[in-house]
Amino acid sequence: MEYLYGIVIIVGLYVILATSFNLIIGYGGLVSIAHPVFFALGAYTSAILSRDFHVPVLLAMLAGFFVAFIASIALALPSLRVSGDYLMIASIGFQLGVLELIKNVRFTGGPGGFTNIPPFLIREFGRESYVLLVLAVVAAVILLIWWIARSDYGRAMSAMRDDELAFASVGRDAMWMKIAIFGLGSGLAGVAGGLYAHYFRFITPEQFEILQSSAILTMVVVGGMRTTWGPVVGALLLQALPQAISFLQLPPSVLGPIQGLLFTGLVLVFMFFRPQGLVPAKDVWRAAPAAKAREAR
Amino acid sequence: MTIAFYTAFVVVQGLDWPAWVAFIAMLATTLTASYALERIGFEALRARGVSVMFVFVFTFMVSEFVAYLAALIFGTWPQTIFPTMFWPVTLVGDIAVSAWDLPAIGSTAAALAAYFAFMRFTRTGQFMIGVADNPDLAALYGIDKRKIFLVTMLISGAFVCLGMFLYGTRAQVLPETGLSLMLFAVAATIMGGIGKVAGAAIAALILAVIQNASILMIPSEWQGFLLYVFLFFAIVFFPSGLRLPRRRSRFSTATRDMPPAAPPAESQA
Repeated sequence: MEYLYGIVIIVGLYVILATSFNLIIGYGGLVSIAHPVFFALGAYTSAILSRDFHVPVLLAMLAGFFVAFIASIALALPSLRVSGDYLMIASIGFQLGVLELIKNVRFTGGPGGFTNIPPFLIREFGRESYVLLVLAVVAAVILLIWWIARSDYGRAMSAMRDDELAFASVGRDAMWMKIAIFGLGSGLAGVAGGLYAHYFRFITPEQFEILQSSAILTMVVVGGMRTTWGPVVGALLLQALPQAISFLQLPPSVLGPIQGLLFTGLVLVFMFFRPQGLVPAKDVWRAAPAAKAREAR
Repeated sequence: MTIAFYTAFVVVQGLDWPAWVAFIAMLATTLTASYALERIGFEALRARGVSVMFVFVFTFMVSEFVAYLAALIFGTWPQTIFPTMFWPVTLVGDIAVSAWDLPAIGSTAAALAAYFAFMRFTRTGQFMIGVADNPDLAALYGIDKRKIFLVTMLISGAFVCLGMFLYGTRAQVLPETGLSLMLFAVAATIMGGIGKVAGAAIAALILAVIQNASILMIPSEWQGFLLYVFLFFAIVFFPSGLRLPRRRSRFSTATRDMPPAAPPAESQA
């Protein structure tokens, strides 16, 4: 049962990561792949504050959100001067640089990782309570992104993504909108980091490397960008498949590459045969049937 | 990079054949892979009109797929093309020059000179610049875009081959080494200015010297950090590349003091 809870939690955390990344790359059109570094910042902040400074875990997780939020703004402010392909490469530099920093400073545990992270809820109420907490956060994040995407702000985001010049010409500030999207999406990744740290209780910089970027990107691309359920489906599918392979009892030296081949192979297949993903996005500028009917009257 | 390196590794260490055979073999596999990537991958994506981001994700996934395949076949241990990466050293004054250094510097300089001449003096090189600038306009002028894209991929494949042969005979390579080398190449290309052969080469040289010389001032484990700091700042602050101040030529000094030219006869009429 413990194994099953572990899978539910990891799938839930990836749903948060993929959904929040979809806000940045899908709805916002900001091509950054540094999402795992904000996941790492949330995890390390929460773990360090709770273990070394005895801050209550819930507050430490909240601090994880804010550190990821502030770090993302620190990345966004200079990087958004450039956009598109350059932003993507700047984000890679930022991600790998921060991870190198984590590896080389002592208080993070260095490359060996950070251990003995205090658990949360599990001792008092059992593992089920943590599963419920993660599922509640997953539901809240999905609801939040769904609400933002369908609000006036969501339509403004689509306008900014589709034509920034036209968006700016009607007096809207694209820069601050980009920063807000980037900050919120990254902050949510920080929350996922906190939840990860206090369940698995051991984190290393290696868990947040470029491979993690490709995993989250894969979930969004395979699931379907700019949709509420696309990243959820992508995260479920791409987390469940490697788990299924792990039942084959293969040695770790073979299992890792096979999981990687499956991951990347799936993305390549999807990119060619279903580039819109499993859940294709609707045209945001097409009026809903009810609105069309009203217009016709 | 991964394909090139492991081809040479198999030929030298697996089949025990000489280095020149390994180089020809790696050239063959890398050029074939470049051809396949262009014809099957990029051409199809281009025909669909996908975004640059989509192409980047595609290349990223192909590189990772190849890296995982290499890890599955060859394992995750670091490897070199030859059984040893230590070369006999000769002291020239106070400088230690290894048997690897001069051929490596010579072949790099020759390859760069050939590439520079190709881009500057051949029709295909000029067509490449035209297609990079505006592919549709270039096509209107009768340039075969398809052929130019393929030639570009093949040239980059050949350069990757030379680079990996030199790298793999001097340093250890892992299946994922290609990715970090690619980041270094991206930083150098952006700092040097995209589309400038000499700029990218000089930027790569400066970056490598700074990164390696930094060991005199900071602990070696911070060298990686330094590279990523360069990458970040290069892109954020110098997205069009570092520009050196223009040298004032005698021509510009002479023309500055000249009176403005009279308008042409047609316009006067």
